[in-house]
Amino acid sequence: MLPEVQRLRIPADVARLAEMRSLIRGAAQDRGAPSDVVDDLVQAVDEAATNTIIHGYAGRPGWVEVTLALVGRDIKVTLEDAAPAFDPTTRPEPDMSVNALVRGPGGMGIHLMRLATDRLDYRARDGGGNVLTLTRSLDPRAEEDG
Amino acid sequence: MALHTTVEHADGRVPVVVLTLAGELDASSYEGVIATVRDIYANGGRHLVMDISELTFIASSGLVALHSSLRLMRGEDPPDPEYGWAAMRAVSNEVSDATPQTNIRLSGTQSAIQKVLDRTGLAALFPSYPDRAAAIAAF
Repeated sequence: MLPEVQRLRIPADVARLAEMRSLIRGAAQDRGAPSDVVDDLVQAVDEAATNTIIHGYAGRPGWVEVTLALVGRDIKVTLEDAAPAFDPTTRPEPDMSVNALVRGPGGMGIHLMRLATDRLDYRARDGGGNVLTLTRSLDPRAEEDG
Repeated sequence: MALHTTVEHADGRVPVVVLTLAGELDASSYEGVIATVRDIYANGGRHLVMDISELTFIASSGLVALHSSLRLMRGEDPPDPEYGWAAMRAVSNEVSDATPQTNIRLSGTQSAIQKVLDRTGLAALFPSYPDRAAAIAAF
Protein backbone atom coordinates (compact mmCIF):
# COMPACT_ATOMS: atom_id res chain seq x y z
CA MET A 1 0.00 0.00 0.00
CA LEU A 2 1.24 3.44 -0.93
CA PRO A 3 1.06 6.06 1.77
CA GLU A 4 -1.74 8.52 1.05
CA VAL A 5 0.61 11.46 1.31
CA GLN A 6 4.36 11.56 0.68
CA ARG A 7 6.17 14.21 2.67
CA LEU A 8 9.71 15.59 2.91
CA ARG A 9 11.18 18.59 4.70
CA ILE A 10 14.62 19.86 3.72
CA PRO A 11 16.71 22.69 5.11
CA ALA A 12 16.94 25.82 2.95
CA ASP A 13 20.05 24.68 1.11
CA VAL A 14 20.28 24.23 -2.67
CA ALA A 15 22.51 21.22 -2.10
CA ARG A 16 19.41 19.42 -0.74
CA LEU A 17 17.20 20.01 -3.81
CA ALA A 18 18.25 16.68 -5.33
CA GLU A 19 16.57 14.83 -2.45
CA MET A 20 13.35 16.70 -3.07
CA ARG A 21 13.43 15.96 -6.81
CA SER A 22 14.09 12.30 -6.08
CA LEU A 23 11.12 12.06 -3.72
CA ILE A 24 8.79 13.77 -6.21
CA ARG A 25 10.01 11.59 -9.08
CA GLY A 26 9.46 8.36 -7.13
CA ALA A 27 6.16 9.38 -5.57
CA ALA A 28 4.69 10.55 -8.89
CA GLN A 29 5.83 7.38 -10.66
CA ASP A 30 4.35 5.23 -7.89
CA ARG A 31 1.01 6.95 -8.49
CA GLY A 32 0.98 6.13 -12.17
CA ALA A 33 2.19 9.41 -13.64
CA PRO A 34 3.57 9.07 -17.19
CA SER A 35 7.15 10.21 -17.73
CA ASP A 36 6.30 13.64 -19.16
CA VAL A 37 4.10 14.38 -16.14
CA VAL A 38 6.84 13.17 -13.78
CA ASP A 39 9.42 15.39 -15.51
CA ASP A 40 7.12 18.40 -15.36
CA LEU A 41 6.33 17.92 -11.66
CA VAL A 42 10.01 17.55 -10.81
CA GLN A 43 10.75 20.75 -12.76
CA ALA A 44 7.96 22.77 -11.15
CA VAL A 45 8.84 21.65 -7.61
CA ASP A 46 12.53 22.35 -8.14
CA GLU A 47 11.82 25.85 -9.47
CA ALA A 48 9.46 26.66 -6.60
CA ALA A 49 11.81 25.35 -3.91
CA THR A 50 14.81 27.07 -5.48
CA ASN A 51 12.96 30.40 -5.49
CA THR A 52 12.13 29.97 -1.82
CA ILE A 53 15.69 29.11 -0.85
CA ILE A 54 17.50 31.72 -2.96
CA HIS A 55 15.06 34.63 -2.95
CA GLY A 56 12.85 33.86 0.07
CA TYR A 57 15.34 32.84 2.72
CA ALA A 58 18.21 34.54 0.84
CA GLY A 59 20.95 32.89 2.85
CA ARG A 60 19.10 32.78 6.16
CA PRO A 61 18.40 29.39 7.70
CA GLY A 62 14.99 27.92 6.99
CA TRP A 63 13.13 24.92 5.64
CA VAL A 64 10.93 23.86 2.76
CA GLU A 65 8.40 21.07 3.13
CA VAL A 66 6.85 19.30 0.20
CA THR A 67 3.87 16.94 0.22
CA LEU A 68 2.54 14.96 -2.72
CA ALA A 69 -0.86 13.28 -2.95
CA LEU A 70 -3.11 11.85 -5.64
CA VAL A 71 -6.56 13.46 -5.57
CA GLY A 72 -8.82 11.83 -8.13
CA ARG A 73 -6.83 12.04 -11.39
CA ASP A 74 -4.72 14.98 -10.16
CA ILE A 75 -1.34 14.95 -8.51
CA LYS A 76 -1.21 17.77 -5.99
CA VAL A 77 2.11 18.93 -4.63
CA THR A 78 2.15 21.46 -1.82
CA LEU A 79 5.24 23.44 -0.90
CA GLU A 80 5.27 25.14 2.45
CA ASP A 81 7.91 27.45 3.92
CA ALA A 82 8.41 30.14 6.54
CA ALA A 83 10.11 32.63 4.22
CA PRO A 84 8.85 36.19 3.62
CA ALA A 85 5.58 36.28 1.70
CA PHE A 86 5.96 35.83 -2.06
CA ASP A 87 3.19 34.98 -4.48
CA PRO A 88 4.62 33.60 -7.74
CA THR A 89 1.17 33.40 -9.32
CA THR A 90 1.04 37.19 -9.65
CA ARG A 91 4.40 37.61 -11.40
CA PRO A 92 4.27 38.92 -14.97
CA GLU A 93 5.10 36.59 -17.84
CA PRO A 94 8.47 37.13 -19.50
CA ASP A 95 8.29 38.72 -22.93
CA MET A 96 9.09 35.76 -25.16
CA SER A 97 9.23 37.95 -28.26
CA VAL A 98 12.56 39.39 -27.15
CA ASN A 99 15.67 37.81 -28.69
CA ALA A 100 16.56 34.94 -26.35
CA LEU A 101 20.24 35.85 -26.31
CA VAL A 102 19.41 39.23 -24.84
CA ARG A 103 16.40 38.26 -22.79
CA GLY A 104 18.32 35.58 -21.02
CA PRO A 105 16.77 33.06 -18.71
CA GLY A 106 15.92 35.51 -15.93
CA GLY A 107 12.36 34.95 -14.74
CA MET A 108 12.24 31.59 -16.49
CA GLY A 109 11.69 29.62 -13.29
CA ILE A 110 8.14 30.83 -12.79
CA HIS A 111 7.48 30.60 -16.53
CA LEU A 112 8.53 26.93 -16.43
CA MET A 113 6.42 26.31 -13.31
CA ARG A 114 3.36 27.60 -15.11
CA LEU A 115 3.95 25.53 -18.23
CA ALA A 116 4.68 22.38 -16.25
CA THR A 117 1.50 22.51 -14.18
CA ASP A 118 -2.23 22.75 -14.84
CA ARG A 119 -2.74 25.20 -12.00
CA LEU A 120 -0.88 27.04 -9.26
CA ASP A 121 -2.62 28.12 -6.06
CA TYR A 122 -1.01 30.39 -3.53
CA ARG A 123 -1.95 31.35 0.00
CA ALA A 124 -0.12 32.94 2.88
CA ARG A 125 0.75 30.45 5.60
CA ASP A 126 -0.79 30.88 9.03
CA GLY A 127 1.92 32.23 11.28
CA GLY A 128 4.06 33.48 8.38
CA GLY A 129 5.41 31.94 5.21
CA ASN A 130 3.91 30.59 2.04
CA VAL A 131 1.83 27.67 0.82
CA LEU A 132 1.98 26.96 -2.89
CA THR A 133 0.01 24.11 -4.43
CA LEU A 134 0.91 22.72 -7.85
CA THR A 135 -1.68 20.61 -9.65
CA ARG A 136 -1.06 18.38 -12.63
CA SER A 137 -3.44 15.83 -14.11
CA LEU A 138 -2.26 12.29 -14.85
CA ASP A 139 -4.14 12.45 -18.13
CA PRO A 140 -2.37 13.35 -21.36
CA ARG A 141 -2.39 16.96 -22.48
CA ALA A 142 -3.29 18.22 -25.90
CA GLU A 143 -0.15 18.57 -28.00
CA GLU A 144 2.01 21.42 -26.76
CA ASP A 145 2.63 24.26 -29.19
CA GLY A 146 6.20 24.63 -30.48
CA MET B 1 22.17 13.31 -8.31
CA ALA B 2 25.23 15.48 -8.45
CA LEU B 3 26.57 16.98 -11.65
CA HIS B 4 29.72 15.46 -13.11
CA THR B 5 31.73 17.50 -15.58
CA THR B 6 34.66 16.51 -17.76
CA VAL B 7 36.61 18.58 -20.26
CA GLU B 8 38.27 16.96 -23.30
CA HIS B 9 39.80 18.21 -26.51
CA ALA B 10 38.94 17.01 -30.00
CA ASP B 11 39.98 17.95 -33.50
CA GLY B 12 37.37 18.64 -36.11
CA ARG B 13 37.91 21.17 -38.88
CA VAL B 14 38.84 23.40 -35.93
CA PRO B 15 40.02 22.54 -32.42
CA VAL B 16 36.97 21.74 -30.31
CA VAL B 17 36.58 21.53 -26.55
CA VAL B 18 34.06 18.93 -25.36
CA LEU B 19 32.44 19.64 -22.02
CA THR B 20 30.43 16.68 -20.73
CA LEU B 21 27.66 17.44 -18.23
CA ALA B 22 26.23 14.29 -16.63
CA GLY B 23 23.60 14.12 -13.90
CA GLU B 24 21.47 17.05 -12.82
CA LEU B 25 22.21 20.73 -13.48
CA ASP B 26 20.52 22.79 -10.79
CA ALA B 27 21.00 25.76 -8.46
CA SER B 28 23.75 23.93 -6.59
CA SER B 29 25.87 23.30 -9.69
CA TYR B 30 25.24 26.00 -12.29
CA GLU B 31 27.94 28.38 -11.06
CA GLY B 32 30.54 25.65 -11.42
CA VAL B 33 29.58 25.21 -15.07
CA ILE B 34 29.94 28.94 -15.72
CA ALA B 35 33.38 28.89 -14.05
CA THR B 36 34.43 25.91 -16.17
CA VAL B 37 33.39 27.60 -19.41
CA ARG B 38 35.13 30.80 -18.33
CA ASP B 39 38.32 28.74 -17.94
CA ILE B 40 37.84 27.05 -21.30
CA TYR B 41 37.60 30.43 -23.02
CA ALA B 42 40.51 31.86 -21.03
CA ASN B 43 42.63 28.90 -22.13
CA GLY B 44 41.93 29.62 -25.78
CA GLY B 45 38.90 27.40 -26.42
CA ARG B 46 36.70 28.98 -29.11
CA HIS B 47 34.45 26.11 -30.20
CA LEU B 48 32.56 24.21 -27.53
CA VAL B 49 30.52 21.03 -27.70
CA MET B 50 28.43 20.35 -24.63
CA ASP B 51 27.80 16.62 -24.44
CA ILE B 52 24.56 16.44 -22.45
CA SER B 53 23.58 12.89 -23.40
CA GLU B 54 23.69 11.93 -19.71
CA LEU B 55 22.12 15.12 -18.40
CA THR B 56 18.76 14.11 -16.93
CA PHE B 57 17.53 17.38 -15.42
CA ILE B 58 18.04 21.09 -16.04
CA ALA B 59 16.62 23.80 -13.78
CA SER B 60 16.20 27.43 -14.81
CA SER B 61 19.51 28.07 -13.05
CA GLY B 62 21.02 25.55 -15.46
CA LEU B 63 19.61 27.62 -18.31
CA VAL B 64 21.42 30.59 -16.80
CA ALA B 65 24.61 28.53 -17.04
CA LEU B 66 23.95 27.67 -20.70
CA HIS B 67 23.11 31.25 -21.57
CA SER B 68 26.14 32.60 -19.69
CA SER B 69 28.31 30.04 -21.49
CA LEU B 70 27.07 31.32 -24.81
CA ARG B 71 28.00 34.87 -23.84
CA LEU B 72 31.40 33.81 -22.51
CA MET B 73 32.21 31.90 -25.70
CA ARG B 74 31.40 35.09 -27.64
CA GLY B 75 34.00 36.88 -25.54
CA GLU B 76 31.29 38.77 -23.63
CA ASP B 77 30.74 38.94 -19.93
CA PRO B 78 27.52 37.18 -18.96
CA PRO B 79 24.89 39.36 -17.34
CA ASP B 80 24.25 38.98 -13.65
CA PRO B 81 21.69 36.17 -13.34
CA GLU B 82 19.68 38.47 -11.08
CA TYR B 83 19.57 41.13 -13.77
CA GLY B 84 16.13 39.97 -14.84
CA TRP B 85 14.23 39.93 -18.07
CA ALA B 86 12.77 43.39 -17.70
CA ALA B 87 16.18 45.03 -17.64
CA MET B 88 17.34 42.82 -20.48
CA ARG B 89 14.41 43.95 -22.53
CA ALA B 90 15.58 47.52 -22.20
CA VAL B 91 18.78 46.72 -24.09
CA SER B 92 17.15 44.42 -26.62
CA ASN B 93 17.21 47.12 -29.27
CA GLU B 94 20.96 46.85 -29.38
CA VAL B 95 20.80 43.36 -30.83
CA SER B 96 19.46 42.66 -34.28
CA ASP B 97 16.83 40.00 -34.74
CA ALA B 98 19.15 38.05 -37.01
CA THR B 99 20.25 34.68 -35.68
CA PRO B 100 23.35 35.46 -33.63
CA GLN B 101 26.66 33.77 -34.26
CA THR B 102 27.14 31.15 -31.60
CA ASN B 103 29.93 28.68 -30.98
CA ILE B 104 28.32 26.12 -28.70
CA ARG B 105 26.79 22.94 -30.05
CA LEU B 106 24.82 20.47 -27.96
CA SER B 107 25.18 16.74 -28.30
CA GLY B 108 22.70 14.03 -27.31
CA THR B 109 19.97 16.23 -25.83
CA GLN B 110 17.36 14.10 -24.03
CA SER B 111 13.68 14.83 -24.60
CA ALA B 112 13.10 16.19 -21.08
CA ILE B 113 15.93 18.70 -21.57
CA GLN B 114 14.79 19.59 -25.09
CA LYS B 115 11.33 20.40 -23.73
CA VAL B 116 12.82 22.93 -21.29
CA LEU B 117 14.91 24.53 -24.05
CA ASP B 118 11.84 24.74 -26.27
CA ARG B 119 9.64 26.21 -23.56
CA THR B 120 12.12 29.00 -22.84
CA GLY B 121 13.05 29.86 -26.41
CA LEU B 122 16.66 28.89 -25.80
CA ALA B 123 16.54 25.99 -28.28
CA ALA B 124 17.01 28.51 -31.10
CA LEU B 125 20.39 29.52 -29.66
CA PHE B 126 21.76 26.00 -29.19
CA PRO B 127 22.03 23.86 -32.32
CA SER B 128 21.66 20.26 -31.21
CA TYR B 129 23.14 17.12 -32.74
CA PRO B 130 22.42 13.45 -32.07
CA ASP B 131 25.95 12.59 -30.98
CA ARG B 132 29.34 14.01 -30.21
CA ALA B 133 30.89 13.25 -33.60
CA ALA B 134 28.11 15.07 -35.42
CA ALA B 135 28.36 18.06 -33.08
CA ILE B 136 32.14 18.28 -33.56
CA ALA B 137 31.78 17.95 -37.33
CA ALA B 138 29.25 20.79 -37.33
CA PHE B 139 31.96 23.41 -36.68
